[in-house]
Amino acid sequence: MINVNEPSEFKGKIRIVVMMVLVAVCVLMTRLGYLQIVKGAEFKKKSENNSIRFRLIKPLRGLILDRHGYVLVDNKPSFNVIYIPNKNRENELSIAQLRRLYEGRSLDFYYDLSLLKNVKPYVPVIIDKNVTMEKIALVETNALNLPGIYVDVSPIRMYLDGEILAPIIGYTGEISKEEMESNKDKYAYGDVSGKHGLEKFFDEYIRGRRGAELVEVNVHGREIKNLGRIDPVSGYNMMLTIDANLQKAAWQAIEGRAGSVVAMDPRDGSVLAMVSSPSFDPNLFNEGISGELWNQLQTNPFAPLSNKAISGQYPPGSTYKLIVAAAALETGIIAPDTKVFCNGSFTLGNRTYRCWKKGGHGHVDLHQAIVGSCDVYFYTVGKMLGVDTIAGYAKRFGLGDLTGIDLPNEKKGLVPTKDWKLQKKKEAWQLGETISISIGQGYDLVTTLQLANAFGAFCNGGTVWRPYLVKKIEWPDGKVYKEFSSMKKGELKLKAETMEILKDALRGVVNDPGGTGQNAKLPDVEVSGKTGTSQVMGLPEGEKARRRKLLAAFQKDHALFACYAPSTNPEIVVAVILENAGGGGAVAAPVARKVLAAYFEGKKSDKEPKDMAQVRRPSDANN
Amino acid sequence: MIFLKFDRRIFHYFDWMLLAFVLCVCAMGVLNIYSTGFNAAEGQTPFYLKQIQWIVLGLIFMMFLFFVDYRVIIHYAYIIYGLVITLLVLVFFIGASSHGAQRWIGGGFFAVQPSELMKVVLIIALARYFDNHKSNEPYKLRELLIPLLIAGVPVVLILKQPDLGTALMLILIFASIVLFMGVDRKSLIFTFISGLIVIPSGWFFLKDYQKERLITFLNPEGDPLGSGYHIIQSKIAIGSGEIFGKGFLGGSQTQLKFLPEQQTDFVFSVFAEEWGFLGSVFLIVIFTVIILWGLKIALQARDLLGTIIAFGITALVGWELFINIGMVLGILPVVGIPLPFFSYGGSAMLSLMAAIGLLMNVSARRFLLQK
Repeated sequence: MINVNEPSEFKGKIRIVVMMVLVAVCVLMTRLGYLQIVKGAEFKKKSENNSIRFRLIKPLRGLILDRHGYVLVDNKPSFNVIYIPNKNRENELSIAQLRRLYEGRSLDFYYDLSLLKNVKPYVPVIIDKNVTMEKIALVETNALNLPGIYVDVSPIRMYLDGEILAPIIGYTGEISKEEMESNKDKYAYGDVSGKHGLEKFFDEYIRGRRGAELVEVNVHGREIKNLGRIDPVSGYNMMLTIDANLQKAAWQAIEGRAGSVVAMDPRDGSVLAMVSSPSFDPNLFNEGISGELWNQLQTNPFAPLSNKAISGQYPPGSTYKLIVAAAALETGIIAPDTKVFCNGSFTLGNRTYRCWKKGGHGHVDLHQAIVGSCDVYFYTVGKMLGVDTIAGYAKRFGLGDLTGIDLPNEKKGLVPTKDWKLQKKKEAWQLGETISISIGQGYDLVTTLQLANAFGAFCNGGTVWRPYLVKKIEWPDGKVYKEFSSMKKGELKLKAETMEILKDALRGVVNDPGGTGQNAKLPDVEVSGKTGTSQVMGLPEGEKARRRKLLAAFQKDHALFACYAPSTNPEIVVAVILENAGGGGAVAAPVARKVLAAYFEGKKSDKEPKDMAQVRRPSDANN
Repeated sequence: MIFLKFDRRIFHYFDWMLLAFVLCVCAMGVLNIYSTGFNAAEGQTPFYLKQIQWIVLGLIFMMFLFFVDYRVIIHYAYIIYGLVITLLVLVFFIGASSHGAQRWIGGGFFAVQPSELMKVVLIIALARYFDNHKSNEPYKLRELLIPLLIAGVPVVLILKQPDLGTALMLILIFASIVLFMGVDRKSLIFTFISGLIVIPSGWFFLKDYQKERLITFLNPEGDPLGSGYHIIQSKIAIGSGEIFGKGFLGGSQTQLKFLPEQQTDFVFSVFAEEWGFLGSVFLIVIFTVIILWGLKIALQARDLLGTIIAFGITALVGWELFINIGMVLGILPVVGIPLPFFSYGGSAMLSLMAAIGLLMNVSARRFLLQK
């Protein structure tokens, strides 16, 4: 091996490198000496007091407004008593002191002292949430005797109309561990996120961005210098299509019974009111709900937490006759004047299917069959149509599929077909099941929203819209950030003649003598609609048994009513489903009437000059 | 093959001192990482245990690279280089990201950071090139085009990840080796001037967070919440250690998690807080000894190849030491460069241990190759 290395050349270079290394090391050591020896005492003091404190500032969530700018959800400051543990402090002492002060004034003290074992120094612990002015004053005046205890302020949600909109708007809460793990860059401990309803669906827009603050504090923990601050950014405001007054009227009309009401504008699919009852107070969730209350809400048989308008699925009952009739006319298997004799029952093989009217309707044509809701007529027609043809038309009306509304947890409902049964139940379709389907019983399931949307499509001339609740998203200063418009989902494609015949029949349901929906009649506006009464027998066996055990009342029929007004050029469509409430005409129609009345009443007052004071603007709840 | 002939004397020339110094730093590193994880959540394998695993695995790598004649290794330098470049490209397609950069490949225990491996691979690739193109004259710019390409490709790939710190290290390694080999004066001046023009325009290619860091370095008070917060907390931690330190596990800045990136880039702040000025100086002195030891090996190597390898590896350790400590002391910008043998990290530990294996390889064979 020959070494071409010229030692002298590299020797010189290595010597230079060694010099450079020594210089660099001297620089580092000098700096180290400066920080640790010259400035050491100063830094030590800073580290002992941990005088530099980093604090996250919660952003304001966006406001939620109704279609006229009326504030539905706002923020308000909430005061918490917090404790910042310190290595040089006996944690129990301060808190025991606070407890004595509380007890001296007979104020409730909830904090479990055993939790103190797990605290980490300088990580704030919340001792008491959402405290009253009395407690704030108590802590502030005794600050010197309560080392490490402070009152902290942060914004929380204020649901102004509480339970009226709760299942739709949802609620917020501290983010869960899972949410935080899922996106560590986005979330920090203690962040708030939407848990349900619109708060959840539009969380991204309304959550805002948290800020942060770096402050220097003295030994008592009092802020002495602000070293820097990044302001939190408020979330976008959200304007709904909901009309607060109509919503309130619908809530009052339902009178606390279990069920839901949906009112929509059939011209564009915007939802004017959506009520689900019973409801809950979303303000309870703001600062964490007690376990007991949460269990109560969870196990309540009336399911107050769920939005029944989109998650409750019910047999459509006689409201389905609109679809069966449309199918019959379109396929031409009947003419409008085809008559069927109803003697009160219909026989198929060895089974007898009854009409709701014991004595029967006698000879009825299509118009009379719809107005009087004759079951035998539709048994006959449904048997001729077959289940798959009916299903085809039901799907055109948007049933059996998500409407696509901007809410989480929407259910699809069910439009059965022969294939569906074969796949799901591994059994062949029975003709008797077609008979049930033709009056909206059996496997058929719809949601209140689907029902409203289907009638909306029918009355607007055939356009199936995607229903929507959020009209636009605005910057905090009111400028539009994003606007949502109506979206066409499909078309009914019915002949004009068919529509005319059926519209006339629906008008008859409310206005003809003997019509089943006369309870929905208004004095000055003509209403059209269809009643429905669906038997709970149609429920799955397990569910039926569960409910039967709970309450005998759960065996009562569901009351349905779907309607629109005015009969020509309709502006509003309303669907009502009341659980286990009785007959549709008797129970559901009056609810719809009240909603319609409130709508037309509101339209009258809209023409008068608007009282601007009523439109509340954002209040400043930020610290 | 003469290269593969095994010589028992190799044990005799094993560089025990170098190994002892390196293991001394590794051991302090493990203790230090133990301290940072002292209050960590349960359930996970503690970082210090993982680090020990990496060190043991690193020792195996080191032994392998020690026993195989370095000339055999250099023979395959370009192939190894090609493999790592492939990995760097793959990172973009199947890589995992952390802190907004795609740096990782593979998963779990087998997750590697190809950019860390590249630091050592670049050294052997450049060594191979200069060994093949020996010259008694200083190199002209034209002759340096290929080495420039060898270094440039990984630099661009790593900048795209984006990992400014590692890219900077590759540039420094390249510059150190080239300058060490000798560059024609005219070429040097030309490069310097074009650098003055190119570097400012490079500003536009930096990611926002990288620009932010440079600005923060120039004016840390300007952003006390972001990167400035790291520097402020790091300085408080180091300074509060004073002469004797707060003692093992006694660092309040560390234990209270005020320090960011405790196990990786800011690991020295933890050490300085707990061991004080004396401990920190001790650590720096050991590092200095390792560096001087490496330079000695470079000087005594029996061939040019050995000299380049030894010098390159020493430069790598030296630059990382200087930049990392300079950064936590607040005299250099915050760029993500770990402290060698000390920061937590598998890929870095493995490639550095492999590099030390090579260094000892060169050290031992200076006797064996004498004929």
